[in-house]
Amino acid sequence: MTTLHLSFYSAFTLSSLGLAFHRTHLVSALLCLESMMLSMYIALSMWPIQTQAPSSTLLPIFMLTFSACEAGTGLALLVASTRTHGSDHLHNFNLLQC
Amino acid sequence: MDLSLILNTLMITTLTILIIPIALPLLSDSLKNSPTITTNTVKTAFFISLVPMTIHIYSGTENLISLWEWKFIMTFKIPISLKMDFYSLTFFPIALFVSWSILQFATWYMASDPYITKFFTYLLLFLIAMLILIVSNNLFILFIGWEGVGIMSFLLISWWHGRTEANTAALQAVLYNRIGDIGLILCMAWLACTTNTWEIQQLHSSSQMPTLPLLGLILAATGKSAQFGLHPWLPAAMEGPTPVSALLHSSTMVVAGIFLLIRTHPMFTNNQTALTLCLCLGALSTLFAATCALTQNDIKKIIAFSTSSQLGLMMVTIGLNLPQLAFLHISTHAFFKAMLFLCSGSIIHNLNGEQDIRKMGGLQKMMPTTTSCFTIGNLALMGTPFLAGFYSKDQIIESLNTSYLNTWALLLTLLATSFTAVYTIRMTVLVQTGFTRIPPLTPMNENNPAVTSPITRLALGSITAGLLITSYILPTKTPPMTMPVTIKITALVVTALGIAMALEMSKMTQTLILTKQNSFYNFSLSLGYFNPTMHRINTKTMLTGGQNIASHLIDLSWYKLLGPEGLANLQQTAAKTATQAHPGLIKAYLGTFALSTFIILMSMY
Repeated sequence: MTTLHLSFYSAFTLSSLGLAFHRTHLVSALLCLESMMLSMYIALSMWPIQTQAPSSTLLPIFMLTFSACEAGTGLALLVASTRTHGSDHLHNFNLLQC
Repeated sequence: MDLSLILNTLMITTLTILIIPIALPLLSDSLKNSPTITTNTVKTAFFISLVPMTIHIYSGTENLISLWEWKFIMTFKIPISLKMDFYSLTFFPIALFVSWSILQFATWYMASDPYITKFFTYLLLFLIAMLILIVSNNLFILFIGWEGVGIMSFLLISWWHGRTEANTAALQAVLYNRIGDIGLILCMAWLACTTNTWEIQQLHSSSQMPTLPLLGLILAATGKSAQFGLHPWLPAAMEGPTPVSALLHSSTMVVAGIFLLIRTHPMFTNNQTALTLCLCLGALSTLFAATCALTQNDIKKIIAFSTSSQLGLMMVTIGLNLPQLAFLHISTHAFFKAMLFLCSGSIIHNLNGEQDIRKMGGLQKMMPTTTSCFTIGNLALMGTPFLAGFYSKDQIIESLNTSYLNTWALLLTLLATSFTAVYTIRMTVLVQTGFTRIPPLTPMNENNPAVTSPITRLALGSITAGLLITSYILPTKTPPMTMPVTIKITALVVTALGIAMALEMSKMTQTLILTKQNSFYNFSLSLGYFNPTMHRINTKTMLTGGQNIASHLIDLSWYKLLGPEGLANLQQTAAKTATQAHPGLIKAYLGTFALSTFIILMSMY
């Protein structure tokens, strides 16, 4: 495994651990999601370089598009919940659970 | 000389003369109506209408005019057709004579009213609508006149519309008349569908005439002529001024229902069910009204119930298949009933608004003209021999006794005849004789010719009308000529019994015995408990039924509960149950996921 592989494997693992163990702010979970997407993008764009098959160069572009949409959705949810709750503190979100 | 041309022309002239005081002020600003103009118009119209009646008596001329036709549907003809036959030609002078006297009286009675011209215009409009009803040959034109008299009755009863009782009485009149109108429209619809005509001379009497249109006509007559079942509006209509009661609710409007039955009589002749229904309904009405009149203390209410009772008697005559006799009773009844109302109006005004007969007495010396005519009218009402009422009433009782009919109807009618005598004598004795019970300072003055001449004119009519009409008109059906002596004098005996009982009972009122309540007195005084029962129960049932169907059932149940809101409730229940399984503990889930991945990775080495 090269240094490159180590970098994005460790970036992905650390981001997923960060998503799993976020504590107060919802925006930190969203940031970890973004870094997961980033590491996956770098991994996908390494693949055509490694295998010398230019036809799969399209794949990271698709992934980037979808991750942008997903980031937009996540930010909209963040804004909506911040508007209603006043902050993005996670322990406030289940106070009105029925 | 072309008699039919003169007849037609003069009848149209009569109607046109009556319309002029209403139409001309609308066309120009300088022409104004006034009470004297209206009175003189009706007087002129009366004298002109005497000529067609004389022509008819002299030569038997009858006519049918067909004017403009409403081309609504090509296959159904609705012309404006006017029928001048015995009924309309005789009723025109009588109605105009009575109206002339009433209008002349009203110039004195309503003299202090600021809107007296409007009052006279209303009365004239009513008269025109009534005459249109009488002279129509077509059920459509009759319906126009019918509705016209109904709406004028409403406007005139609520003349003093500041008074709540007047408003409720007018509303009662309109509602009860409307229920009767349903019957008339039912008959018109049946005729239009089955016989394709609304003309009266095309009504035939087939041997199997279905009862449905006849029931409609009987319902119409029940509503307009206050038979039992739709009767409460007539005593309540006494809230209107006395000229209104005299014109509408004694001589003219209330006989419109009976007149409809007289006009459409060819349809009834063969249907025994309808005739028996008329007979029993009329007998019940006459007895019920006479019972209610026994304990009334308001002079106008007694006369109103007496009108209701006589209308029942007219209905009984229709049920005996004798329309001409019913018409004779209508004609004679118009005279003495209008006079009774005018006398009561004169008494009321002269006693400064007192209408309770327990507070009148001894008026015979104080108001001689009025009370003499009052006595004449009461005697005519009771059927005293050879006054006007005798010719019609005695003939009706004789025909009742000599026909093959329902014994119960006969007994009720005879009992009602004796009750008529009882309440009439009671009213006469309490109003005119005995010690006076009026307050000492009363503005009593009947020397105005506007009061005395209409009343004396109508008194002359009450005495002579019966004789005149029966002398000049041949009956279409042979009256019964031979009968046992007992049957012949039944009406007289029954009336005399009533008089004797009334005189005896009026002596009892002077003996200071404490009266106890008994159920018959309460029944009579509260008008048979009809008003509170029907007015509460019926309206409450209808309104709650309406609320249940329209609001509770359709709006709340179907549109809301079974529709969107019910669906939303179901979804909400399901969502509440389902969300309990999903507590949404993201951090726990993700942490468990990370721990599991770590354990798996570690266990691979």
